[in-house]
Amino acid sequence: MSSELKPMLDGIFEVGPPPRLLGAHCPVCDQKFFPKPVVCPHCLGEVQGIDLSSEGTVYSYSILRIPNMMYKFPQPYASGYVDLDGDNIRVYGLFDPEKVSEIEIGKRVTLQVGQIGIGLDGKECLRYYFTPQDGGGK
Amino acid sequence: MRSVDIIGVGMTPFGKHEKTPLVEMGTRAAIEAIKDAGIKSSQINIGYFANMQAGNLTKEFTVGQAVMWGAGVNKVPVFNIENACTSGASATTLAWMSIASGQYDIAIVVGAEKLNVPFVPLLNPSMRDINVLEGNVVINGFAQRAVRHMHSFGTTKEQLAMVDVKNRRHASMNPLAMFYKKPVTLEEVLNTTMMADPLTKLSCCPNADGAAALVLCASELSSQYTTKPVHIKASVLVSGVFDEWPDMETFEEDQRASRIAYEKAGLGPEDVSVAECHDAFTICEVMHTENLGFCPIGEGGRFVESGATSLGGKIPMNVSGGLLGKGHPLGATACAQIVEGVRQLRGECGDRQVEGAKVFLAECMGAELRGDAKTCTVNILQK
Ligand SMILES: [Zn+2]
Repeated sequence: MSSELKPMLDGIFEVGPPPRLLGAHCPVCDQKFFPKPVVCPHCLGEVQGIDLSSEGTVYSYSILRIPNMMYKFPQPYASGYVDLDGDNIRVYGLFDPEKVSEIEIGKRVTLQVGQIGIGLDGKECLRYYFTPQDGGGK
Repeated sequence: MRSVDIIGVGMTPFGKHEKTPLVEMGTRAAIEAIKDAGIKSSQINIGYFANMQAGNLTKEFTVGQAVMWGAGVNKVPVFNIENACTSGASATTLAWMSIASGQYDIAIVVGAEKLNVPFVPLLNPSMRDINVLEGNVVINGFAQRAVRHMHSFGTTKEQLAMVDVKNRRHASMNPLAMFYKKPVTLEEVLNTTMMADPLTKLSCCPNADGAAALVLCASELSSQYTTKPVHIKASVLVSGVFDEWPDMETFEEDQRASRIAYEKAGLGPEDVSVAECHDAFTICEVMHTENLGFCPIGEGGRFVESGATSLGGKIPMNVSGGLLGKGHPLGATACAQIVEGVRQLRGECGDRQVEGAKVFLAECMGAELRGDAKTCTVNILQK
């Protein structure tokens, strides 16, 4: 992992190892969030920072075949929603650019962090992504 | 609450208007609507201007006052409204509220957009949105819905493509559509460039320039100006839920907005003669058909294949050509849907006229946050 590269946004994930998504939990509503909100939007109470599960199942995905120049993503790239194990939360993320063709609904995936594209400052940066588990598919 | 009518409509052709500035397009639609209404500009009490991208693409702001003055409307309150693709319908809801509440008698709504500029980036609601930073752009959200719909309901890519074939056939009968007299075949739709599986280039609506305008009037006064008023039975705007568990198989916003609208109108989906919906991508129309109550959830693909949503079918959808056939000038789109509804109910649509049209429904949807539509509108009109 290139240590000089920065996350695309602060407070979203820990680089690790192991990498972690930085979520939040409202003890009153027993609801988890990602990313961490200012307060729980359901009760406006304080939320506590928590680590979210780093494994999950693909809910849906898309493969963008045209260029996305905003952040200089690889072409093509896959992104979509993952249901995190045990967290009752569906998060959006990139999928492993090297394994685009392996992504399908129901696929088991694991969180990773690596250099993908550029950030808001136009410099190369770190992003979280989900990579398919070998033999863990449907 | 007072009853409100639409007494005048106007619309420019949709397509490429490279030499016509945004303000002029809006003004031309406004002038047509004012003349169609049989009123003087000075009789208008309030104006709403809908636009989405002027600040971004042509670097203009507070455009509405310039548009209105071009059509002779000054001094009265003018509001500039941005609510993504529903901007025009959101402005219409505000105009309806202004009159229904008794505050004003006559309102004008103008929607206009100029998208044929040298560079239009892939549309996204915010560069800082975490989903956008992680690869989401508008087309991805709808490709993810299409993938999920095919997985859960057995919808085929051919059925999705049929939406475009149908709407292009409808557009070929609309002189104001970008694709007037330009139908396409199923093979053409399936074989154009793949943008985001299963959505090909022709599965996506084209950018267009254009403007559309409406004049609204208290029903108790409309007979002074017109013999063919069209009644607004419901004008509804809702926002998304934005919770932690987005559902890609349904449009909850459609269900909620249409339920409110049907209830207010005292009508149901079975009463609707003709409808327009936000067919920005083929999958959108399939899902709107289901979530507005025209067919069961999951049946939208088979419903379009059956011909039920074609001109002459059970519930003709997007007879104007929709966004796919007419083009999609964002801020003008939802106004143009209502213009089509008024003209259908007046019986002015020529080759694409739905015989005996009595009730019209327009649905529009705009932008995404956390997997939900930020904004969704349903308007129901009756003859
Ligand atoms: Zn709470």
